[in-house]
Amino acid sequence: MHRLSVTPRNLGVIAVGLALAGGAVACGPKSADSAAKSGTDAAPHKGGTLYVLNNQPQTNFDPARLYTSGGGNIPSLVYRTLTTRNRANGAAGNKVVPDLATDTGTPSKDATVWTYHLKDGLKYQDGTPVTAADIKYGIERSFAPELSGGAPYLRDWLVGAQDYQGPYKDPKGLPAIQTPDAKTIVFHLNKPEGDFPLLATQTSFSPVPKAKDTGTKYADHPVSTGPYEVVSNQNNGEHIVLKRNPEWSRATDDQRQAYPDTIDVQSGLDQAVINQRLSAGVGKDADAVTTDTNLGPAELAKVTGDKALASRVGTGHFGYTDYLAFNPKVKPFDNIKVREAIAYAVDRSTVVDADGGSALAEPATTFLPPQAAFGYTPYDPFPAGASGDPAKAKELLKEAGYPHGLTVTLTHDTNKGGEEGPEVATAIQDALKKAGITVKLDGLEHNAYDDKVYSVKTEPGLFLAGWGADWPSGGPFLGPIFDGRQIVKDGYNFNSAQLNDPSVNNEIDAINKITDLSAAAKRWGALDKKIGAQALTVPLVHPVYKRLYGKDIRNVVISDWTGVLDVSQVAVK
Amino acid sequence: MIRFAGRRLLQAAVVLLVLAAVLYATFYLAPGNAAQLACGPRCSVAQVHQIRVQMRLDDPVYAQFWHFVQGIFTGHDYSTGTGTLHCPAPCLGQSYRTGDLVTHIIAEKLPATASLALGAMVLWLVLGIGTGLLSALRRGSIVERLLTGFTLIGIATPVFITGILLLLVFCAWLRWLPYPTYVPLTSDPQQWAWNLLLPWVALALVEAAKYARLTRSSMLETLAEDHIRTFRAYGVGEGALVRRHALRGALSPVIALSALDLGTMFGGALLTETLFGVPGLGQQLVQSVQLKDLPVVVGIVLVMGLAVVVANAVADVLYALADRRVVLR
Repeated sequence: MHRLSVTPRNLGVIAVGLALAGGAVACGPKSADSAAKSGTDAAPHKGGTLYVLNNQPQTNFDPARLYTSGGGNIPSLVYRTLTTRNRANGAAGNKVVPDLATDTGTPSKDATVWTYHLKDGLKYQDGTPVTAADIKYGIERSFAPELSGGAPYLRDWLVGAQDYQGPYKDPKGLPAIQTPDAKTIVFHLNKPEGDFPLLATQTSFSPVPKAKDTGTKYADHPVSTGPYEVVSNQNNGEHIVLKRNPEWSRATDDQRQAYPDTIDVQSGLDQAVINQRLSAGVGKDADAVTTDTNLGPAELAKVTGDKALASRVGTGHFGYTDYLAFNPKVKPFDNIKVREAIAYAVDRSTVVDADGGSALAEPATTFLPPQAAFGYTPYDPFPAGASGDPAKAKELLKEAGYPHGLTVTLTHDTNKGGEEGPEVATAIQDALKKAGITVKLDGLEHNAYDDKVYSVKTEPGLFLAGWGADWPSGGPFLGPIFDGRQIVKDGYNFNSAQLNDPSVNNEIDAINKITDLSAAAKRWGALDKKIGAQALTVPLVHPVYKRLYGKDIRNVVISDWTGVLDVSQVAVK
Repeated sequence: MIRFAGRRLLQAAVVLLVLAAVLYATFYLAPGNAAQLACGPRCSVAQVHQIRVQMRLDDPVYAQFWHFVQGIFTGHDYSTGTGTLHCPAPCLGQSYRTGDLVTHIIAEKLPATASLALGAMVLWLVLGIGTGLLSALRRGSIVERLLTGFTLIGIATPVFITGILLLLVFCAWLRWLPYPTYVPLTSDPQQWAWNLLLPWVALALVEAAKYARLTRSSMLETLAEDHIRTFRAYGVGEGALVRRHALRGALSPVIALSALDLGTMFGGALLTETLFGVPGLGQQLVQSVQLKDLPVVVGIVLVMGLAVVVANAVADVLYALADRRVVLR
């Protein structure tokens, strides 16, 4: 996952002012009844209906097609997986914990074979027992071209899975997954992968009973293992209604609280309207949350000025880094001095402003996000202070043979308000000008931008990019960007520097062998620092997410893993 | 009349076919790769290839277009993996992204779009023509100036401002109306109208302003024409003059414009749909264009095209009724 699908800042300022003007009224006398209701007892209780108001529909609600981090938010209410993310606030939420399995997995000595045992008493919504064969079948489905969209890892990691076409075209299945008995499942991998328990949180690791599989139609009526089952799924995820799954039991699931009786997910709504509704909190909107609509800069300013509203803002950190990417195959970026000069010249304070201000973006000097799970090790190889060091940059340019400055082109997305958008590009342009570097901007429409910058054939020398990992670990963060064997010649390539350094590759392999995640994290942090000195990227900011929730919402849990309020923990009573 | 209908049908078929062909052609020139988009950016080349084959994207363009045209007349059978999905004629294909039948997607979204478009149109015609006539007949008066001001504001205010304001006033402040959720006409007509009231008004205010200005200028023009002056000289009363003679002439351009506008509305009024949570074709179209989901894009554009063609035919009939000099051929 390299880009967050929802950009929070594409709102007109006028509309924002109007959108939230309802907030002031919301704390007037009309809300007294709900204040009384929640005032006496703040503990969460079972019952009621939770409303989720979203902009993007929950499309392709099939465990084989969903591309989630940690099993997703809404999907995780229906699909249980071998392991899952710890449902806890902040850094504790970056931990992987058992879900259907009894533990997070037993590795072989070199971490190429992973064995899981299922808990006792696991049932589907129809009361039939969950078997290891169903998990194997669920994973095999995710290889079917009919069910495109899932994450790519298993295809690379499982032995002999490269060309597998799924159980519909190839019913023999994947020999790399074995089920010696109904409760045991064994995975055979190509190479050591200490992160396997983190991958096993994805929805492809959720069981699908073969007899109930309806192929591309499965998403309409999936068979639930989670606390909720699908009552209806209209227009491909536009409106999903979930009700309690009577066969689910807290005895086998210590993660999901499942307080509400019903969960109603309505999407296709305008972001300004979602924020207006959450702030006004009229009627059932008091029991509403959003999982995809952030507060933009102007909305945030308005909310912060209103105490009652400000207390209803959830802050989330999701491991993500926005950066300037260099292609050292393009002159003058082959010269490390030029790259260093740009690293010194960048003014992160203006980039933060372009991204919506200090509440929505933190300056970044490391490529890894500032979270222990990724192995965050603070470093700054080119200390330029908060607002850049143009003098030092000029000096480096002189050493590089450009005493009179130089002219470069910066490629960016024309999507306004996006992390790779024109506002950030302009901020970079202004900062570099002070160091004698003239920046020409090359703005491209979103699809055209992706096609150009992520292809080794057309990749420009300097462009804006962003990266978020599929799970909180250094592996999926550094691997695709700096592992020389992950350079993709004819497809999407994210190793933009086209770095193929044996010492980096070897260290990545060595860390992947480590199954102690915190020991591995330390090594990822050290590797990040080592690569950082080569100035192949200029880390710019780590984004922060602010989202409103309704006034009767209780038990708000926001983990660093997702950065979003966890729907499985929320109560409305 | 039969000849008129026949000719129009033939024209419509040709227009729609050309439209589909042009879409197919542009699809291959525009940036983005549907298989890669469906698969995700991290997909391997081999995997993208599997999906291309699944989507028939490896066939030449003309073969794909032929497959599409064939489906309209004979229907197709698609594999769901575990079984087959029959797509009866007229089959417009299957979404690259979700595997849903395009006809099914349109059938699900069209009622919302049609409800929004037709309801808003009734409102904007009544409002627009009413205000237009009033300001034309009360020229120079304070009423006319107020109405002109009102229409100027209407034209100048984008629908997302009007929409947000309406929601704020009626749903958050006064609380007379709930935040709209779409309720199908067939399940509860009263709730249907109640929930669509705000989107109708938001859309109608913008459109009505346009129609008011058109009606006003067209009416003033007609009133200044020779035959009206002659009628007036003969002593025909002002009321009868407007009703019986001027109105017919003045409304011709209004009819032509509403036919076009209605067609556009059937492609979905995107902003109004998102603001008011109406699950219509507009949202679907934008989403599908971004994902390069060609079959869905073609399907929705064909609906739009069909709506324009039908609305134009209706407009021609109305034209003939309004102005007896026009003959339907």
